[in-house]
Amino acid sequence: MTGTSLAPATAPGIAPPWVSRTRRFDRIRRLRRPSLLCGFVWLYLLWSLAPVALAILFSFNSGSSVNEWQGFSMRWYTGDPEYSVLHDPALHAAVIQTVRLAVLTTVIAIPVGVLFAIGVHRWRSRQASAWTFLMLLAFVMPELIFGVGIFLLFTNLFTIVRLGTTAQVLALVAWNISWPAVIVRARLQSIGDEYEEAAKDLGASAIGAVRRVLLPMLFPAVFASAVLVFAGVIDDFVIVDLLSSNAQTQPMSVIIYTLGAHGGSADAPALNALATVMFVMSIVTVAAGWCVYRLLTRGERDRSEKISLGPLTGG
Amino acid sequence: MTGGTVTLNNLTKRFGSECAVDGVSAEVAAGEFFALLGPSGCGKTTTLRMLAGFEDPTKGQIILDGEEVTHLPPNKRKVNTVFQHYALFPFLDVRANVAFGLRYQHCSKRELDQRVGEALELVELGDYKRRKPAQLSGGQQQRVALARALVLRPSVLLLDEPLGALDARMRRTLQIELKVLQERVGITFIYVTHDQGEALTMSDRVAVMANGRIVQVGSPRSVYDEPADAWVADFLGVSNLMDAVVRMPGIPGNRERPCTLTVGSFELEASGGTVDAAGKVRLAIRPERVSLHEYQESAANRIPGIIERTVFLGSTTQVIVHLAVGVAIQALADNTSEAASWAAGTPVQVCLPADGLRVLPIDQAS
Repeated sequence: MTGTSLAPATAPGIAPPWVSRTRRFDRIRRLRRPSLLCGFVWLYLLWSLAPVALAILFSFNSGSSVNEWQGFSMRWYTGDPEYSVLHDPALHAAVIQTVRLAVLTTVIAIPVGVLFAIGVHRWRSRQASAWTFLMLLAFVMPELIFGVGIFLLFTNLFTIVRLGTTAQVLALVAWNISWPAVIVRARLQSIGDEYEEAAKDLGASAIGAVRRVLLPMLFPAVFASAVLVFAGVIDDFVIVDLLSSNAQTQPMSVIIYTLGAHGGSADAPALNALATVMFVMSIVTVAAGWCVYRLLTRGERDRSEKISLGPLTGG
Repeated sequence: MTGGTVTLNNLTKRFGSECAVDGVSAEVAAGEFFALLGPSGCGKTTTLRMLAGFEDPTKGQIILDGEEVTHLPPNKRKVNTVFQHYALFPFLDVRANVAFGLRYQHCSKRELDQRVGEALELVELGDYKRRKPAQLSGGQQQRVALARALVLRPSVLLLDEPLGALDARMRRTLQIELKVLQERVGITFIYVTHDQGEALTMSDRVAVMANGRIVQVGSPRSVYDEPADAWVADFLGVSNLMDAVVRMPGIPGNRERPCTLTVGSFELEASGGTVDAAGKVRLAIRPERVSLHEYQESAANRIPGIIERTVFLGSTTQVIVHLAVGVAIQALADNTSEAASWAAGTPVQVCLPADGLRVLPIDQAS
């Protein structure tokens, strides 16, 4: 309106040529597939999944070879009267022991971990942050050191705890409690105190507010950590191996390791079958957990203040 | 619902060495719309949280309908809160959210349904019973929060910046709705806000807070027209402030004997504020009281100046004038007036009427 413009006059709506050219480059840069990086991803997937795929494939082999395909059969799962997972007592027991450890550990570690998280969240002091740090330590500490330590503890100091299921569950609870503690604490922080205050304001007692408002709101985090603990126990090897007492308390991972490394070859595909069972159990746990978690947090994902556990649950 | 008188007695809250609320005393009458107004960090929210029972006062008393409730837990007080972010329970639908507190009042299923229905009708959300909070707009969530608190028939409703999260348009609509609602239900509302306009539009009385203390309490008009000090004047909307020296003090309450002061080399008379002050003071005048005229020789209560810029505000035009005494002053002019069309650099005469000028003691200003 006042003064004269120094820029050259251009018709409105038509950008000068240099503008359109950079825009075009921008679009190309955005849309072009990073083929080199894609290639690496595919190579990596192939490289890491091929052994698993092969192991699963040979669990269905009708012969007893693990490198020569002799036709499809369910022999090593159910068919073979002596060596199949269903009929070999050692393999059979391993599946049961794995499930037993996973269920017991989850049932104990989750409530304790949730209470720990709530306690530390309320505490708000330097000591509380020290305890939180201790929880994080479990994520970085080598499992072997923890396992050996607790093995020595149970064999020398607390001899009242016998090696076997009891020792295994106690150690697994201690090792896995960080999951609920850390995940639930993160969720508590994103929830804030307002909801609990609202519940009390409306007439709920302190415990009533926790039960009627806080726990339902924590449920997705509790569930997610339960899935992680359950799947973690299925995969665990070091602790359960060190603390097992006899063949009856050796879960799948230990059996696969010992028989695979030292055992004969007559029943080799049966181990593959066992490994497949273990693999499927882990995958199903995590997949089911992911689906239920999505279901539980359905309402939250539309909102800006979503509480993200995506990286932890694979979502 | 009768009752709802609140008395705060020297209420104090310290967090460590920091004093968030410093000896607040106030009386709120039954059925009153009482606003706590102040900038962030002035202690208004802490005061409200002590009223609700979320913070334990370090010192002082809270008396609700003649009964001391100072240290009672929140669930034992006939006080309910509408939270700043509403705090609606996301896993419950609207109906269950509103019914949440009724469970503790032990009412029958039929009474519960009836009261929830009434509360939702009151906020015009009768058709949204089955919705989850995430499926509602901000304004609707705010109404659910109101219904959830009002359904319990509290003596006092506490509102913590309930319109803070809404856009300007929605805020204006809801301001009026809230006021109408409060008059209908007749419950005492204690309303915390940092928005001057909001406090002045809605409340029966306003308490202006700063640094943990109540600086001034009064009706919106009295607080706006007769600010206790320069800080209040400034906080309650734009006010022009000038340093002045009292030449001859006036007599309070006598308009014939105003205070005579000098601003720079100009002499002014002021009949508002602390007219019997002495020494250095501040002079306040609201932009709408400043009038602009064509340049003339200097006269009583007139100071020459030069127009610095004019800003079109919609309904009026803001004119900023640089006075000969060295300070800039704002004036509001009608869009149709001559002053609104003057260009920057035009010399003008600024008229500061004696009854628009208020003398404010300097040391009280924080």
